[in-house]
Amino acid sequence: MPSISLAFIFVQTHVSFLTSALGTPLEWPEAKKIANQVRGWGIEQLLTTWRRAKGKERDALLWGDEVEYLVVCFDEENRRVRLSLRQADILQALAEDEKLLKQGGSVPDVQTGNPKPEKCAPTFHPEFGRFMLEATPGKPWGIGFKELLDVEPDMKWRRQIAKEHMGGTEYPITLTTFPRLGRPDCTVPSYETSGPKLRSQFLPDEIANPHIRFPTLAANIRWRRGRKVQVNVPVFHDSQTPRPFKDPTVDYDLHKWPEDDDVRNGAVKDEYIHMDAMAFGMGSCCLQITFQAKSIDEGRKMYDQLSPLGPIFLALTAATPVYKGFLADTDVRWNQISRAVDDRTAEELGEKPLQNDRWRIPKSRYASNSTYIANDPRLRKEYLDPDLIVDGDLKQRLVQGGMDDLLATHFAHLFIRDPIVVFAEDLKELDLEKVDHFENLQSTNWQHMRFKPPPAGSDIGWRVEFRSMEIQITDFENAAFAIFIVLITRAILSFDLNFYMPIARVTENMETAHARDAVLSSVFHFRKNPFSGRGLRPSSVPVSGSNSPTSRPSSPFGPVEDEYELMTVNEIINGQQNTSDGFPGLIPLVESYLDSMNIDVETRCEFARYLDVIRKRADGRLWTAARWIRHFVRTHPDYQQDSVVTEGMEYDLVKAAEDITVHEGKNGVGIEMFSTKR
Amino acid sequence: MKLVLSTSNIMGRGPTVMRRPTIEKSNAELTNTLRANFTAQKELYKPAHTIDSPNTNSDFKAWTQQIGSTLYIPSLENTETGLIEERAQYDITVKLFFLPNIPASRRRAQAKEAVDFVLNALKVTSIDLLIVSFPGIAFDADDEDSDSDVDSSEEAHSSPADPEDIPTMLETWRTLEELHDVGVIGKLGLAEFGTQRLNKLLPQTRVRPSVNQINLRDCCVVPKPLILFAKKEKIELLTHNDCTDILPRGTLRELLGSGQHGVEVLADPNTEDAGRLDGDVEPEFVVKYTAVIKDRGVVENKGYFAVAELKASPDMNENPRKRPLEA
Repeated sequence: MPSISLAFIFVQTHVSFLTSALGTPLEWPEAKKIANQVRGWGIEQLLTTWRRAKGKERDALLWGDEVEYLVVCFDEENRRVRLSLRQADILQALAEDEKLLKQGGSVPDVQTGNPKPEKCAPTFHPEFGRFMLEATPGKPWGIGFKELLDVEPDMKWRRQIAKEHMGGTEYPITLTTFPRLGRPDCTVPSYETSGPKLRSQFLPDEIANPHIRFPTLAANIRWRRGRKVQVNVPVFHDSQTPRPFKDPTVDYDLHKWPEDDDVRNGAVKDEYIHMDAMAFGMGSCCLQITFQAKSIDEGRKMYDQLSPLGPIFLALTAATPVYKGFLADTDVRWNQISRAVDDRTAEELGEKPLQNDRWRIPKSRYASNSTYIANDPRLRKEYLDPDLIVDGDLKQRLVQGGMDDLLATHFAHLFIRDPIVVFAEDLKELDLEKVDHFENLQSTNWQHMRFKPPPAGSDIGWRVEFRSMEIQITDFENAAFAIFIVLITRAILSFDLNFYMPIARVTENMETAHARDAVLSSVFHFRKNPFSGRGLRPSSVPVSGSNSPTSRPSSPFGPVEDEYELMTVNEIINGQQNTSDGFPGLIPLVESYLDSMNIDVETRCEFARYLDVIRKRADGRLWTAARWIRHFVRTHPDYQQDSVVTEGMEYDLVKAAEDITVHEGKNGVGIEMFSTKR
Repeated sequence: MKLVLSTSNIMGRGPTVMRRPTIEKSNAELTNTLRANFTAQKELYKPAHTIDSPNTNSDFKAWTQQIGSTLYIPSLENTETGLIEERAQYDITVKLFFLPNIPASRRRAQAKEAVDFVLNALKVTSIDLLIVSFPGIAFDADDEDSDSDVDSSEEAHSSPADPEDIPTMLETWRTLEELHDVGVIGKLGLAEFGTQRLNKLLPQTRVRPSVNQINLRDCCVVPKPLILFAKKEKIELLTHNDCTDILPRGTLRELLGSGQHGVEVLADPNTEDAGRLDGDVEPEFVVKYTAVIKDRGVVENKGYFAVAELKASPDMNENPRKRPLEA
């Protein structure tokens, strides 16, 4: 799942996050009462951090990737595959492994071992889903190009280590979602559904990590919202799919919890697959990349410039066409996660007039960005959302504390949310040496970019996290996308690229990215000219006499609408070929950057492999995982053209994914994703 | 008169640095960025013209600078900004392109001059790596023996110039070794050398090349013998995407001329352009420099200098300002 773990350069925050959580979590009505206090303290902790770290300069580029796995358990005899809920056992096994510990690898929240920074065995983390595992490199990557070639082997090594600490029938799989999650008998061991925390009619409470913070998170989101979350995905209509499609798995006759009324009150909609628990979203696997910036200013710039790329990379990495045993009419996970953690009340959603709540909120806590934050003359006010909701008092406090308006607006926007999980023990006094209250809000705002202040007591700098990508089936692809994003950030900084457009268009693009085959069929708003023209700056050297520079007219800004247009993913990735002054394309930009660098031939050729798969995914010569999975289901001998993914099909699909992980299409399985020679 | 053309920092300048898929391996970056810099400086220092004082042919003097017999196009005073961070943060690479049909005897002076331009542009006292590109050599990845004809002159070459012999190259190398000795250059490198040429050159060098740069032209085929040889000799094989013929004759005349794409420094040979310069432009060398912030992988500064000799046409030695109306 998308980082409940704070991850990386992470590790440190990760540890503090979980250790601080040893305590008594407040139930929602109690948590709600102290929300203001937590937010206020969080803002004070942020100000302390900001004052301490705003002058940090010359931090190197360090970056890290996070790979998330589903742990599946094959039952060969009965041709079944289920999710394994042995996360804790596997992590314990990893933690106890002496050899791994010696190499510095660790499981940071199991309090054994003492990671040694100079070694680089990977680090494993628990995730929200008890069937999930997350692995990060043992130490952050740099920008030495040869070092980038270590990424793919390291990812493979991580998977191998994970596998070695699992049971013989268990495998770490990098599918975004488990095809039949939420259907009977989808886990080992099997548990009763309708537990007190999730109150889901499809999933047991045991689906979530047992650490008290996770069930509390799920329960309080539900409680705050006043009903269960509603995760409805449009069904894919095949020739034999009933019309209208009424989700046949919904039980309308449950009467155990008050929330069982939800389905009788319109939570289920015709033509949609219906899901009702946080785990349906937060149980998805993603590929996230975190970068350390040189300084706060560079971090803010990277945050802004990567932001418009988020939806494009969501469409390009699409891998999620199946939910709860049905083919969906969308290709990606994003909105399902968004709905799975949507804690907004009916008033905040605009379904009821505002009485008790402070404002209507247009987006879930998990959503695309709503702010730009860079101190950048190219950031026009027209790009910002004029109706952005901010907590005015908290913003004022930040501005009083010395923070500039843009950054204060960003955090005051994040802080419109309530803290969901609050531990009684943390409320005794404000500790400005810690960032627990700040992180409480920051880490439960799951936007597609995250701007991360430096943790106290370390050398770590300002960081930016790129969060929209879907996990890919193979480590080759995951390395390709991770490295590509890294190279794009270098091209952005080297060429001073400008991808700004109104943030509302980025939000629209995020919706667009969901469409089936959006990578080939949809068009996205994107800035036409990414070049700033800063090279034309006049020098400060005065020139005497008649040779004085004529005063340059200040760059005239045309209408914002003229700066961007609708483009295909192919045009954005590979460039607009038909016009000489069209968008140059992200791959040509990266290649132009690489041409300016000293790169050895072996590294350049490896990069060529990575760029090639991305180029061809964008132009359609190679398939996305979403397209391949959909095709796999629709051509399966058991398929009845009715959108249904059976247990047998699920088994074959997950088996094939495991096979592809090993062979990367070279044995013909999944070759459409890897090679045009077929 | 000597002409010193410069791009200043081309990073962030925009489309001029992009290679277009339609133009395979071109020298477009050099000519485009030169033109962009000229045009920008020309615009910046444009005298306020009115109907009463129309364009004059000597407008170029506003944005160029003549020192002695050297004309800087544009004036370097206005464009050189140096580096932002401390020197130790950077990896500075310089690639020196010697051009065809220029006597090798001039290279000693050219090399020193080229390095000086870069040191001044970046306001530093040393560079980390200097790669030298000799004219007429093109490494062919598909043909391991592409440089087997080093000493044979019978064969016809498609390159604008035949590769020179090893002793001539060595003479140039000696100059670079001297610059290395005094600490101005950290490491030396070659471009487009195959195994055979390397084999011949290496034993005679005092400071050995650390780098050999080859162009892979999008296909990643490197001959195994070269990889093995380079590994054995501890020479790093780097890639590049530079044109072998970086500055074909005629390019500068078009750039500087008075035609549609020119910046009106040189007179049109067919018309009366009094005030502009006359003569034949003979390119001497090109030098490219790149300053990369090492631990961030950011290219902060990149640019080119191109140096040419403006030679009065033989029939105008008497008075270059006066010329026949008809060429």
